[in-house]
Amino acid sequence: MSTKNTDKDSFAVQGKLALPYTYFAGRVGSKFLTTIRDQKKIMGTKCPTCGKVYLPPRQVCQKDFTDIRNNWVDVSATGTVVNFTVVRYEDRHLARKPPYVIAMIKLDGADTPMAHILDGVKPGDVKKGMRVEAVFAEKTTTTILDIDHFKPEAERAKSGWQPKARKPYVPEPESGIEEKRRGGKPDMSKPVIICAALAGAATMKNQTPAVPYTPAEFAEEAYKCWKAGAAMVHVHAREDNGMPTHDHERIRTTHDAIKQRCPELIVNLSSAVGMGKTAEQRISQIAAVKPEMASLNTNTMNFSLLDRKSGKIFIDFVFENTFTMLQDFGKAMEENGVKPEIEVYDMGGLDNTLLIMKQGFFTNPMNFNFVWGVAGGQAFRVETFVALMNALPAHANFTTCGVGLDQFPAIMQSGILGGHMRVGLEDNIRMPDGELAKGSFEQVSVAVRAAECLGRGVATPDEARLMMGIKKR
Amino acid sequence: MGKRAAICAVAQVRNQPEYPHLRFQNMLLECFESIMEQTKVTFDMEKGIRNIITCSDDVFDARTISNNGVTDVVGAHFRGEEKMAQESINGLGYAMACILSGHDDVVLFMGHCKESQSESRLMCTNLAYDPFYCRPLGMDFRSADALQAGEYTEKAGITDEQLAKIVVRARRNGKKNPYARVNDDVDEKTVMSSPMVCDPLRALHCYPVTDWAYAMLIASEERAKEFTKNPVWMAGFGSCMDEYFMGDRDLASNFPLKNAAARAYAKAGVKDPKKDIQLFELSDHAAYQLPLWAEGVGIAGDGKGGAWIDEGGPDTFNVNLSGGHLNGNPLLLGGAARAIECFLQLRGEAGERQVKGVKRALAQAAYGGAGQHQAVLIMES
Repeated sequence: MSTKNTDKDSFAVQGKLALPYTYFAGRVGSKFLTTIRDQKKIMGTKCPTCGKVYLPPRQVCQKDFTDIRNNWVDVSATGTVVNFTVVRYEDRHLARKPPYVIAMIKLDGADTPMAHILDGVKPGDVKKGMRVEAVFAEKTTTTILDIDHFKPEAERAKSGWQPKARKPYVPEPESGIEEKRRGGKPDMSKPVIICAALAGAATMKNQTPAVPYTPAEFAEEAYKCWKAGAAMVHVHAREDNGMPTHDHERIRTTHDAIKQRCPELIVNLSSAVGMGKTAEQRISQIAAVKPEMASLNTNTMNFSLLDRKSGKIFIDFVFENTFTMLQDFGKAMEENGVKPEIEVYDMGGLDNTLLIMKQGFFTNPMNFNFVWGVAGGQAFRVETFVALMNALPAHANFTTCGVGLDQFPAIMQSGILGGHMRVGLEDNIRMPDGELAKGSFEQVSVAVRAAECLGRGVATPDEARLMMGIKKR
Repeated sequence: MGKRAAICAVAQVRNQPEYPHLRFQNMLLECFESIMEQTKVTFDMEKGIRNIITCSDDVFDARTISNNGVTDVVGAHFRGEEKMAQESINGLGYAMACILSGHDDVVLFMGHCKESQSESRLMCTNLAYDPFYCRPLGMDFRSADALQAGEYTEKAGITDEQLAKIVVRARRNGKKNPYARVNDDVDEKTVMSSPMVCDPLRALHCYPVTDWAYAMLIASEERAKEFTKNPVWMAGFGSCMDEYFMGDRDLASNFPLKNAAARAYAKAGVKDPKKDIQLFELSDHAAYQLPLWAEGVGIAGDGKGGAWIDEGGPDTFNVNLSGGHLNGNPLLLGGAARAIECFLQLRGEAGERQVKGVKRALAQAAYGGAGQHQAVLIMES
């Protein structure tokens, strides 16, 4: 015999291995496969000792030998591709006609990736890290193919829903409002007044370049906010270098630039101005410029800069607002036809106002702003919000603003309780996902979305005037 | 030092794409007769072969108890016969155990596989997977290797050019081996333009279908000199099985091979494989495995297999001068082929590929998808 092929008459017999089998899947495997078949649900077993969730499920944890056969946990039908290959060769044992993708998929809630077929995507477009979801088979094979395959996870369904045009706001008798609020139900009948606090005294361009300093920048930013849905802007005028100013001329120029760019918009000036200003510097500019609205602060308080993580004090400052100032500023505003926006940093400030209002110079309706998160004031808490609202004098409106992370939750609660919303770079420079806001207008758009989701819609500046009792200039 | 087991003689037919005119029994008989002639060993129940180890696979042979088809030609009638239904290198580990336990002093070890018999060797490996979770997906050792290749090439920064270099080198080395499969000459460009079969594996990255058979005579230290003047000693053997499910494994970590190598090194007294071992035969079923296993046995840095290729690591460390598995061996028998090359090199019988001064060599073999099972054998002259 030789290994050289010398015999051309070799005869080959054709054969085939074909033997039907019935395999018991094991008790753990049975439950896994029948749950997929009957409930279209994927389950793994979890080791209580090491916390590992096995997929396919195991009877015993191979790390610490804990018996886990009865410790079933639900695993999500969605997961992430951690590895994959594209089968491009033809063969009889393959599950699909090539090319098809075999991927290692780590389902959400499982610790061990599982092999499966990935379809519904071109092989060339498959990437590690891709999000996928199970497509369950219509007909059972009682194998893992009862999950027929995985496909790219559907993007969240987007509806093109836009709220339909809202009926204009018409003031109604106070008795009607009281009726609506009966039984603790909020009055959600009014559209939401959105105010954008464009700058404040402390937000600087090194934090966000979008904060305005010059009158032109204020006008441009106010315009964007108005276009996004704001009815009002709150303004602390700045020098070109960013320092807050009590200079009448600069404040007037800033105010007028905004009014010129968007005559409709309500401009609400600060009577705080910035740190270290005298009472005279703070109120004389209001009387001089006569905006439609101005802030009126209600208590002497710490108004400081602290590191929120470590509690370290950067700048300690007492913001002086005596009863006399509350009285004098309030009177000055009312006498000049400027509607006060009464700033409430805690319940004490509200109580101060309730005392001073007994003098009778505040005109109805009074408008309050609940301020959250100032270092020296109160942090945002839902129950405190309700307590403040319940302590308001009759016929009063309320809006709210929160510093930093408090901003969006606070305006949401205000929306639900029938109140209004203030956003803007004065209070917070970020969007809900933590990204820097491109400007106050971006935060206005979040408030608009919230108001629309509540079915309230957004008030025009004229509607805001009607609600807040402001005379248009 | 304890007792040692020696390989006294080897015999093989040439690796071929197909032996249409030889049954695997005929192939084995060639090897058997060669061993008889080389060693004059007998089947005397006192002094001769009382135990035979065979290596074959039921699915590749398409008959269960596949050894049943060869007991006559390997001389197994009327005496002990045990089948290694695993990668062939484990047959050497088993032969060591038979001898070192004192149970046997002469063992004949033979193996065969005609991969060409089945319509598809990949279909055979699909049957290696469970019928519930993996087999229905069409998984086989090629797609399993591809998943490992994806992870490893990314981790080690292995390029298509480096993989092509490995293939070209395997074929060049194979040409110097009279028992190697005869393949077409390829250049790197041809490899890189060969079709992608299972990303990132190209057709020429995968070993070709091969038929082969071999025989070895293993004896105790006391008996070895009766059969040869220059026995080759099996100084250390280690194996390790990784987890079954691909998702449980860290495919680019070399976990099972590092374990197997550490055990073999400890037994053989190998401290630094780079210095203590002069020749390596690695189980490259696919091109990416050459640098991966080189990392596993400690001659390339972890995750540095790509640079190791560029720096000429395979030639520096005398890796796969036989042509390796990549040039063509049956999947089941790669380990025996690796050990036979080590045997020939240690005896100075490797012809034009002979390396001077080889005192210690390493044969490694992997089995299961993506090298799930690993075994390492250290051999000494």
